[in-house]
Amino acid sequence: MIKKKAEPYLLILPALVLALAFYIVPFLRSVIFSFLRITQGGELIGIAGLDNYRSLFADRAFLSSIWHTLLFVLLFIPVNTFLTLSAAALTRRKRKHGAIFEFIFFSPLAVSLSAYAAIFSEMFRGRVSIINRIFSLDMLWLESPESAMVALVALSVFLDFGLDYILLLSAFRTVDRSMIEAAEIDGCGSLSTLFHIELPAIRNMLLVTIFLALKDAVLISAPVMLLTEGGPYRSTETIMYYYYLEAFRSSNLQKGRAISSLMVVLSALIVTLMGRRRNDE
Amino acid sequence: MKRTVLVLLMLLPLFTISAGGSRESDVSVITIWHSNSGRVGQAFDTLVDTFNDGIGKENGIRIEAIYQGAANDVLTKVKAAAQEDRSTLPDIAQMDATAALDMKSADYLITADETGADTSCIMPSALKALDSDRGLLAMPFNCSSLLFYYNKTLFDEKGLEAPRTLDEFASIAPELGEKDSSGNVVRYAFSGVPTTYELGTFIGAQNGLSYMIDAENGHFGVPEKVLFGEEGTFRNFLEHWKALYDTGYVSNITSGVRDEFAAGRTASMLASSSNLSTVIATVAGRFEVGTAFVPMVDEEATGGVNIGGGALFSFSSEPGVKTVLEFFTSPESQLYWAEATGYMAINTELYETDEYKQFLSENPQFEVAMEQTLSSNPEVVGIWLPSAYQIYYSFQSEIRAVTESGKSIDDAVSAMESIVQGAIDEYRNQNGL
Repeated sequence: MIKKKAEPYLLILPALVLALAFYIVPFLRSVIFSFLRITQGGELIGIAGLDNYRSLFADRAFLSSIWHTLLFVLLFIPVNTFLTLSAAALTRRKRKHGAIFEFIFFSPLAVSLSAYAAIFSEMFRGRVSIINRIFSLDMLWLESPESAMVALVALSVFLDFGLDYILLLSAFRTVDRSMIEAAEIDGCGSLSTLFHIELPAIRNMLLVTIFLALKDAVLISAPVMLLTEGGPYRSTETIMYYYYLEAFRSSNLQKGRAISSLMVVLSALIVTLMGRRRNDE
Repeated sequence: MKRTVLVLLMLLPLFTISAGGSRESDVSVITIWHSNSGRVGQAFDTLVDTFNDGIGKENGIRIEAIYQGAANDVLTKVKAAAQEDRSTLPDIAQMDATAALDMKSADYLITADETGADTSCIMPSALKALDSDRGLLAMPFNCSSLLFYYNKTLFDEKGLEAPRTLDEFASIAPELGEKDSSGNVVRYAFSGVPTTYELGTFIGAQNGLSYMIDAENGHFGVPEKVLFGEEGTFRNFLEHWKALYDTGYVSNITSGVRDEFAAGRTASMLASSSNLSTVIATVAGRFEVGTAFVPMVDEEATGGVNIGGGALFSFSSEPGVKTVLEFFTSPESQLYWAEATGYMAINTELYETDEYKQFLSENPQFEVAMEQTLSSNPEVVGIWLPSAYQIYYSFQSEIRAVTESGKSIDDAVSAMESIVQGAIDEYRNQNGL
C-alpha cells in the first residue's frame, strides 16, 4: 500500500531533483542575492535592500533595453507567425515534388545559430553587402537603429523558421481528412477550407508556436550578441543582452541578479498566461 | 552477451575520459587560454609547436593551447572558472587591457613580477602599459597601438601628406572627399566614430600627458574621479573633431570601416596597428596603403599613442610558467610573431639585429607604427575602467549627438562625465569602498 502511494513521487523524483538543482535553487539564490551587496569576487559585504533594483531602473540604458525588447517582440511575432504559417499552409498537401519545398523550408534547422549569424552579418555588412546587391539598395544596414533592428528580426525569423514550420506542417497533416473531403464535396474551395476548417483545427499548435516565438523574443540575446553587438549606439540592446553585459562583461553580479530575478518573474507570467489559455480550451 | 557488450560500449567513453586525464608524470603541462584565430591563430600554434619541440622538450614542459574565443570571452571564462572552481583555471591566459581592472583585484592572479620572468629586454612603454600598484600585472605579448591608415595613392594624386593635426585634417578633408552630381558624398575623408580606444590617444596625448580618470587612468589604486571633464581635454577634442566633421566629409559609421576603406569610399581611418596585414590583404593592391602617426588634437597634444593589445596573465606559480613567458617574449619568438601577424616586436634586443632591420625595410608601413610608439611618452597608458563596454558605446553616442544632432559640447561632456563617474561609483560601492 505504502509502495503504491510512494510510486508517483518516486517517478517524479528524478525530474524534481534536476529542477531543484538547476532551476529552483539557483533562482531562489539569485532572488536573495539581488537584495544584497556582493563584491565581484563573490564576497558578501552588506544588505542592499532595493538599491540594486533602484540603480537598474535609474539606468537609461536598461529602460531603453526594455523598449528595444518590446519593439523586437512587436516586429518579430507577427512576421514570424505570418511567414511560417504561410509556408506550412502552402505545402500542407502532399504533392509530387513537395518534398523539395519541405526540405528547403526546414533546412534552417540544420545549421547552427552562430553560423547563420556569421552569414547574416556578411549579408548586411557595409555598402557592398549582398542584400544591397540583390535589391539594388545603397544603405548601411547595421549603421542605423531602424535597419539594424530589421536585420535582427530577419535573422531571428530565419532561426525559428525551421522548427515552427515542422510543428505547423505536422499539425496540418494530422487534420481529419474526412472533414476536408466533406467540405470539398460540398464545393468548398482551397482557401475557404484553409480558413474555415484547417486553421481552426490547428489552432492549438499555432498557439504553441506563437508562445515559443514569444519566449524566444522576450529572451533574445544570442542573435544580438552575434549580429549587432547591441549597436549601433546601443540601439539593439535587449534586456537579456543588457543582462549579459552587466553580469558577465562588467561582473556586476548584483545588478545581474536583479535583472535575472525580474526576467524569471516575467517569463513565469507568460507561462501562466499560456497555461491559462490552454485550460480555457 | 548482447547486454554485456552494450554495457561495455557505454563505459568506453568513461575510460577514454579518465585516460585523457592522466598525464605523463615527468612532463609538466602548461595550459594557455588564448584568443588568436585565423592567421594569427596559426602563427600562435607555430610558436607553441616550436616551444614543445625545442625548449619545452629539453625542460620537460609542454604547452597545451586552447582557443577560447575573443579576448573578452577569455576574460569571462577566466572569471567564471575562478568563481566556481579555481583548479579549472588555466596556467596562463592571453587577455587584453579590458581584463586589467578585474585582474588587478583578483587574488588568484600571479603577477608577471611574481613569476620571476625576465623583463629587462621588453620595450618600456609595453611594460608601462601593464604597470600597476601590484607591479607588472602580466607579460606583454601581442602589442599594438592606434595607427592612422590612409589611401596613399589618393593622397599622392592630390599632392597631400598625411595630416599632422586634426585642424590640418579638416583643411584638407574637402580635397580628399568627393561628391557625385546630385551632391551625395561618394568618398569620405574619414570614416568611423572615436571611442574609448581612440580617446585613449586623443585625450591621453593632450599637454604631453593627460589622464582620463585619476589613479593614473586606474592603474595605481581604484579610480575615484573622472578627469577629462574638469581638465577640459574631452571638450578640446570634441571642438576639433566637430570642426573636422563639419567639413561634411566624415562618415559616422561604427562597423565595416575597413571594408569602406578597402573599397575606396573613405580616404582614411584609424585602426589598431595589428590590423596592418589584414588591411593590406583586404585592399589587395587596389591602391597603396599608407600609415602615419595619429593626428594630434592640437599642437600641444604631443604625448603620442599608448600601447594596447594583449598580454599573458598567469594564474599558477609552477616554474614552467616563467620559462613559457620568457619564450613568448624572446627575440626569436617576437620577430616571428611580428612578421606573421603585424603585432609589434617588443623585445628591444631585436632592434639592432639585421633580420629585424631587413623586416622593417621590407614593411615600411610597419616601421611607422614602431616609430610612433618609440617616440610616444611611455606614461601615456590605456584606461582601466569598470563597465568598459558600456562606456565604449556611450562615447560613440555622445560624439554622434554632437556631430549629427547638434547637441552642445558642454552637454556631451557632462553626460559623459556622469556616465563614467557613475560606473566608477558603482564599482566602488560594489566592492565596499
